[in-house]
Amino acid sequence: MAEYRDDISDETAALAKRAADRLRTPERLAPSFDDRLMRSVRAEAADLYPPGSGSSHSWRGARLQFSPLGALALAAGIAAVAVLSTLAINSRVTTSARAPAQSVAKAVPSTDTVNLVRFVFVDANARSVELVGDFNEWTKGANKLQLSGAPGVWSVSVPLSPGRHEYAFIINGSRWVADPLAMKSSDDFGTESSVIRIGSPTRSTT
Amino acid sequence: MSDRSDAQLIADILGGDVESFSILVHRHRDTCTRFAVRMLGSRTDADDVMQSAFLRAFRGLRKCRDPERFGGWLYQIVINECRTFASRQRRRDARFLADQEVIDRAVSPVEDDSGEAISEHVELALSKLPVDQREAFLLKYVEELSYEEISEITGVGISALKMRVKRACDGLREMLEGVFNG
Repeated sequence: MAEYRDDISDETAALAKRAADRLRTPERLAPSFDDRLMRSVRAEAADLYPPGSGSSHSWRGARLQFSPLGALALAAGIAAVAVLSTLAINSRVTTSARAPAQSVAKAVPSTDTVNLVRFVFVDANARSVELVGDFNEWTKGANKLQLSGAPGVWSVSVPLSPGRHEYAFIINGSRWVADPLAMKSSDDFGTESSVIRIGSPTRSTT
Repeated sequence: MSDRSDAQLIADILGGDVESFSILVHRHRDTCTRFAVRMLGSRTDADDVMQSAFLRAFRGLRKCRDPERFGGWLYQIVINECRTFASRQRRRDARFLADQEVIDRAVSPVEDDSGEAISEHVELALSKLPVDQREAFLLKYVEELSYEEISEITGVGISALKMRVKRACDGLREMLEGVFNG
């Protein structure tokens, strides 16, 4: 009980303990709970997790899958890489707390339907850095950052469609890091991610 | 029911074996149920919240950072769902339960000191606490989590959590003095 008390008086702590004892009795949901839930789950399952899609689970480190659309986007991305010096679409520079800050470079979005976005993460102690986001279905291993010359500077370029995207970095295969320089997303799962907006050709990019 | 780990079950679900989700539900349902019932003061409301929480978990399985710790992740979702529900409930109560004296009378000490009556008093007193204090008290005293664990689950700093627990205890004492006789 000592841990509970802090600056709570003995009498108050004792009463709180007795109240808690009353509240600790187990609770059960209705027997139909599981059946009702699984009906809802099955109704959504086909779209969310079609059979055979399991290897793309973000934490299973499985193979990367390409849809025809994805391959098209990748092809556009490769084309953009070839002319990166002139397009230089977007760039995110993220610095881990242990490394000195870096500047964020921005550029005008491409007029192509696919924008190549360069994500940069700076961490001198990182052994690996991966990018996960809605654009790769939060798939670990889909977008690995590579060391790009300077010590501790990791980067990867990803083709993104215009619109709002959420992303985060995974350091050393397990540590989830949101981009400290970007707007945070408030999701329902307690997981902090970052937001990047890719503007349409007629809008500015943030 | 199954000797597959949570991570194995999640991998199977993501691969299209949806029925494996029922094993996860069965495995983790009761852990969160007590918290939801105490937080909301109603099994019916807790049922709704748990349905919603499990569905959200199912939809977001790919975002489960550490599948081996699915239970903790689910707890986060349940807590968030309870907060949302309690917030709506508070607005609803503000509209339909204007007579605060009704509650005050219900929580005041009565002659009936049976175990069931005392539990009812405790639950009513708990329901009068602000949502953030109720949540902190339940996680600390009833679920017996450490402040570090609560902070990780709720995203609230430890100092703020300790203050919430203290205020909750003070509030409960004020409401329940006289209910426990010896």
